[in-house]
Amino acid sequence: MSRNLVWYCLKKLLLFFLSMLLLSLAVFCAAHFAPGDPLVSYYGERAEKLTPEERAQAEERLGLYDPLHTQYLRWLSNALRGDFGMSYKYKTGVLEVIGKRLNNTLLLGGTGFLLIFLLSPVLGILCARFEDKPLDRLLCWAGSLSSCIPEFWLSLTLILVFSVWLRLLPSSGAYAVGKAGDWESRLTHLILPLAVVVLSHLWYYAYMIRNQLLEEVRANYVLLAKTKGLSRRQILLRHCLRNVLPPYFSMMAVAVPHILGGTYVVETVFSYPGLGALSYESARNQDTHLLMALCLLSGGAVMLCSMLAQAVNERVDPRTRSGGGMEVERRG
Amino acid sequence: MDDRFAWAGPPPAEVPPEPPKRIPLEIPWISWFVLAVLLLGCLCPVLPKDPAYMDLAHTSLPPSRAFWFGTDAMGRDIFSMIWYGGRISLFTGFAAAAVSTLAGIVFGAASGFAPRWADALLMRLTEILLSIPGLLLILLLQGTLGKPNVVSLSLVIGATGWTGIAKVVRTEVLRLRESGFVAAAQCMGGGFFHILRRHLAPNLLPSILFMVVMNVRSAILTESTLSFLGLGLPLEVISWGSMLSLAETALLSGAWWMILIPGGFLTAALLCVTSIGSGLRRWLNREQSNL
Amino acid sequence: MAEILLDVQEVSCRFPMPGRTVLRAVDGVSFQIRRGEVFGLVGESGSGKSTLARCIMNLCRPSAGKIFYQGIDIWDKKQFRENRKRLQTARQIIFQDSTSSLNQRMKAADIIAEPMVIHGVTPPRGSWRAEAAFQLHYVGLDASYLDKYPPELSGGMRQRVAIARALSMEPEFLVADEPVSSLDVSIQAQILNLFRHLQEEHGFTFLFIAHDLPVIRYLCDRVAVMYRGKIVELAPAETLFADPRHSYTRALLASVPLPDPRRERARKPVEFGEFSTAGTLRELAPEHFVLTEGCG
Repeated sequence: MSRNLVWYCLKKLLLFFLSMLLLSLAVFCAAHFAPGDPLVSYYGERAEKLTPEERAQAEERLGLYDPLHTQYLRWLSNALRGDFGMSYKYKTGVLEVIGKRLNNTLLLGGTGFLLIFLLSPVLGILCARFEDKPLDRLLCWAGSLSSCIPEFWLSLTLILVFSVWLRLLPSSGAYAVGKAGDWESRLTHLILPLAVVVLSHLWYYAYMIRNQLLEEVRANYVLLAKTKGLSRRQILLRHCLRNVLPPYFSMMAVAVPHILGGTYVVETVFSYPGLGALSYESARNQDTHLLMALCLLSGGAVMLCSMLAQAVNERVDPRTRSGGGMEVERRG
Repeated sequence: MDDRFAWAGPPPAEVPPEPPKRIPLEIPWISWFVLAVLLLGCLCPVLPKDPAYMDLAHTSLPPSRAFWFGTDAMGRDIFSMIWYGGRISLFTGFAAAAVSTLAGIVFGAASGFAPRWADALLMRLTEILLSIPGLLLILLLQGTLGKPNVVSLSLVIGATGWTGIAKVVRTEVLRLRESGFVAAAQCMGGGFFHILRRHLAPNLLPSILFMVVMNVRSAILTESTLSFLGLGLPLEVISWGSMLSLAETALLSGAWWMILIPGGFLTAALLCVTSIGSGLRRWLNREQSNL
Repeated sequence: MAEILLDVQEVSCRFPMPGRTVLRAVDGVSFQIRRGEVFGLVGESGSGKSTLARCIMNLCRPSAGKIFYQGIDIWDKKQFRENRKRLQTARQIIFQDSTSSLNQRMKAADIIAEPMVIHGVTPPRGSWRAEAAFQLHYVGLDASYLDKYPPELSGGMRQRVAIARALSMEPEFLVADEPVSSLDVSIQAQILNLFRHLQEEHGFTFLFIAHDLPVIRYLCDRVAVMYRGKIVELAPAETLFADPRHSYTRALLASVPLPDPRRERARKPVEFGEFSTAGTLRELAPEHFVLTEGCG
């Protein structure tokens, strides 16, 4: 059994590394062909004033003249030693640049994820409990509306209402100038982007829980529970929810990186200094090393989470286990 | 030869004719109506003013009798721009959805019919594709295709949106492949295309149809987001998204009509498509359970 | 002796299972079916009956052995292609689970006409719809069921539709894979009577698979008992029920409940343990084959 487990882990690990390798290759090629001038991100405004000789020198120094596969192999061998290169724009190690922004993204995405994770079962249960009653209708209507509004437009509208008209909340940044350590400032800057993140994702998950619960409610064991005299609430919470939550958890596990990393539209509109805005910027300016690191980070997170969810499901779900009264023999 | 069947009594003298097809009742009529109005308005060739004309004497005007929806910072008439830009937005949405549907069906069916190892490989590829944030992927792909235009943008959006359909098609094909009626059709000697047409397609359609409609929605959404960020169509090509890319200056001057009106149209279109999609799903599911 | 219609020779069917194991669903099975007889195949669930049926119907390739239908090796690509039309019209199968073997999105009329449509048969009764109505009438349903979809029908009706579909090509060999086991008793009786009629009127050859012994006894001429992928006993029905030789057959027969409750209660419960599947099939009495060990 334990040997099997080791094999299983090794296999998954190998698969993971292969996927990461493929991913890095794909991103590298795509980044190479994408428009944008690496020198612009390196020199900023000055890039346009460079003489052709200076340009050639700079490109030589950054190793941009080498053929694509040499560049890739150089990147790969460095990356395997833990050196992900230097950001052209920030002129420091890529990991350092990411590290500075990571906590901002974690704050926005993490709080958003937590709120979505906690609120969607509540909404789903409410809708299922009052199926086809006014409350359910209202929530469904509001939910589908909120999931239809484009994220960027919702952000703009919120800024228009709360920052421009009411002047209640700040419209951009993660904190007021010079107040990086001030929690109050951070919090007020967080409210609007957080609202957009939660509103645009919440209904998707709540609706899923609602529909699955409604499916469960029609199962026969609910009738049995009813004959035992349990109340509607008890049946929903104790019996039905128990069958709905495991798939919900595995779904949320896969959703972690999407909610964490999928905030770049919001980050861009609110000029929030997070990873999303960073990756978007690096892709535009061909800041290759930074882009690679960011893509590998988000890609790795997605794969890791989905593998974890899959492994847990395989362990938990009895349907995947085989066996029975048939003649089964070992091969070889 | 019929005397062998004598024990069963005389055969029916008259076969009842086939009944007419039922018309679905539960349709989101309002959404269809609104979407039809939007589509007709966008296709209407006559616009009150030239949407591209910059009337520098009338910049950033609020809605008035002369300019129904006001003018933007460059003096263009927003009312005309809405209908003109809607063409691009809706066209991109439908074209991208067509591309992704085709790709999804082909990929999913191939994966479902392929041997196990090929199936695993294909699914692994989709997973890798899914692990890159969508907008970033579009950005990179678009970069390889050169300067974006309507067609290449639809292609790129379509090329990134097929995974959902592919997954559904794959699971359905796997389920149907094991089902008894496909085995029965094989026994009767039905070829691949007979099975595809008579058995697979009618069973796949309901589950795909909903996803196709949702793909239209997400393609419209993606196009507008891209154009808003300045990554999609260039500024001079008017679409609902690119109209909103001027929003930052509008925010500073408090020109709400530049933000709320195009966004309102965009949201209305998305809402219609969504409710049509869920209406379709409800209708098809009901057919499935009540038939 | 009648002509041999189906000849199954040493057929095995193995499936790889997760964890480096192999499932031997069918393990070296041989038997012959003569024209015009009803051949019964009994055994517990999972003993490989359905897999065998699938092998015979070209649905599942056997990993070893050969199957001949009127001398045609049906798993030989060339011979199959040459005789494709004949094989596909002359053999028909009725599946156990009519819920899944009928496409839920097709009307009964279309389901019944499907084989004729596939083979492009010109309908002798005018239209395919009329043909379907005729077949429906023949299995005891009237024309009002033509436009029903399978979920609107009860289990028995669905099974009749499946039978009508199999009959529409007027086959000479019918495989019935537990056609009555998912139905309740009164409908079982109706369907069994229908089969009996069909057999008497048409002279079909039947491979009738069941796990229910009384059903087999009622319908079959010869019976093979399957256990864990092997045939453990093969004999004419009357002989088998009168004089079971293999220990598994005896246990199986002893487990059939008696109609008289007092005698049933007095009976000793049957012990179902492991039964030996070693040895070879030998003819112990004329026409009576039993799996025996050693050279006894």
